[in-house]
Amino acid sequence: MRNNQHMRYEVISHTADTGIIAYGVTPEELFENTAWGMFDLMFDLAQLTPVHDVPVMATGDGVEDLLVNWLSELLFHAENLDLALCYFTVDRLEEGGVQGSAGGVPVDDVVLRGPPIKAVTYHELSVTENPDGWWARLIFDV
Amino acid sequence: MEWKRVANSTWEIEPHDGMLVPGRIYASAALFEKAMSDRASQQVINVAHFPGIVEASMAMPDIHWGYGFPIGGVAATDIADGGVVSPGGVGFDICCGVRLLGSSFQLADWEARRDRIMAELDRRIPRGLGKGAIAGRALLSDVLERGAAAAVAVGLGGPDDLQRCEELGTSSGADPGAISDRALRRGGTQLGSLGAGNHFLEVQLVDRVFDSKAATAFGLAEGMVCVMIHCGSRGLGHQTCTDQLQVMGPAMARHQITVPDRQLACVPVDSAEGRRYLGAMGAAANFAWANRHILAHETRLAFGRAFQISRERTGMHPIYDVAHNLAKIEAHEVAGSIRNLCVHRKGATRAFGPGHPDLPRDLAEVGQPVLVPGSMGTASWVLRGTERNPAFSSAAHGAGRVMSRKGAKKHQTGASVQEELESAGIAVRPGSVTLLSEEAPYAYKDVDEVVDACEAANLGEKVARLVPLGVVKG
Repeated sequence: MRNNQHMRYEVISHTADTGIIAYGVTPEELFENTAWGMFDLMFDLAQLTPVHDVPVMATGDGVEDLLVNWLSELLFHAENLDLALCYFTVDRLEEGGVQGSAGGVPVDDVVLRGPPIKAVTYHELSVTENPDGWWARLIFDV
Repeated sequence: MEWKRVANSTWEIEPHDGMLVPGRIYASAALFEKAMSDRASQQVINVAHFPGIVEASMAMPDIHWGYGFPIGGVAATDIADGGVVSPGGVGFDICCGVRLLGSSFQLADWEARRDRIMAELDRRIPRGLGKGAIAGRALLSDVLERGAAAAVAVGLGGPDDLQRCEELGTSSGADPGAISDRALRRGGTQLGSLGAGNHFLEVQLVDRVFDSKAATAFGLAEGMVCVMIHCGSRGLGHQTCTDQLQVMGPAMARHQITVPDRQLACVPVDSAEGRRYLGAMGAAANFAWANRHILAHETRLAFGRAFQISRERTGMHPIYDVAHNLAKIEAHEVAGSIRNLCVHRKGATRAFGPGHPDLPRDLAEVGQPVLVPGSMGTASWVLRGTERNPAFSSAAHGAGRVMSRKGAKKHQTGASVQEELESAGIAVRPGSVTLLSEEAPYAYKDVDEVVDACEAANLGEKVARLVPLGVVKG
């Protein structure tokens, strides 16, 4: 699936909503890149330098639940703190839990380039390992 | 198994591979063809697996691909027969809906004060991300309990406004205690804000009246300036649905329920988890009723300021406020007997016909106003509910997307969409110019075609057509 080692994610066409396929050499990188992809749909992350950090923890049964809960946690922090999150790091990923952090800038300081994402859905959700690494398919409600 | 045309505007697929009822799409031939162009029809089939579903898994003429449910999906489950409730059948934006205000203004009034009106709306209507809200957090707990009535109690709008609101603007069965602290933190400061995406506030003109008796009862007349507001329960609703979905997965296993798509997670209505969800959904719906009510009140103030008159003299009155993302407990006839059903409408509008006991007295003879917003820059419609509606008293909720956001962005830039709208005489005040391209008219079906299909399938009857004058976008 992965045709470019530096590609973090690709956008999926969806009639009403939006989605991504994200890539990672390791599961940790996959979690970081799905977070990057989700927020990059809303803001041009390459232009942003984080000024606020927030610790992020999520639990879940199985890697799919864990990924959805990690991303949902990020959406919660972003809206609760009015941040455009633009930096993501996973410190620990194990069965049942993920710990990491995210950095961002106040949303009032940035321009939306895509509609705000309301939530992460389970629709057509998949997380797969192949010889090149890991990839995940996600649809977001916008 | 194939879809077959069983009536002029009705298409069905027989139950197969675990479906408990047929799938049914109400559409013209052209709209049906569009429905087949993505995965929406498969989603109709998936919903037909719901325990306790009755009659058919249905879709309105504006059907398109959603997540779990199709957008435009309607499914009713029989509570006494183990019928389920599904957060996916409501969506993350719980009680997203539309409010329409009439006024005493005519086109000449608009033309004389257009720039001042748009400037006032631009200044007063919070939208986008992190741009604040009209109401303070102090109102929140009462809003979750009482909905729009809580806003009226502190002087935002009047009691008469509530008469023209589905459920009088207060969800029965709301349980504010079922709203998580995280949902309160995420959305508690957003009461009285539009949001973004496809949400909008639009100044419109009644272009043509098709049913003068119903229009008069509704408070509409040809040449009247109106305002349509489309928004929902904001971050509070989004987080509530997220929280509840996390509960539903393990609960499904306990109730031995399986569904073809995890986003269709569901539990029996008559279960602890089902009651908890409906209580949380009701409280989030109360937030949405109040949100639209507060934005409508602010709109009155904006017009009053623009015309230098009191808000009372604007004559701005609610025509109706209706949700299009809710699950409701309603009584309907199924196979000759009245059943207590949980009716999910995901991107579909409740459309009670004449004589329904839940309608206010002044609408009893003509039926409920059904609000069908078009895409930005195109017409919107007011229909009326009909007798013998075949879809548990439901109708379309809008034009329905036909092009992906990715495709729409490639088609035209937001700036050129704005230029085209302004050239057509439509004032535009976007929260983000870039986002205009995703909501451009070419990304949606023709709303007139959707409304024709509604009428042909007896989902609603035309009352009035409205055309846009000015748009405030999130």
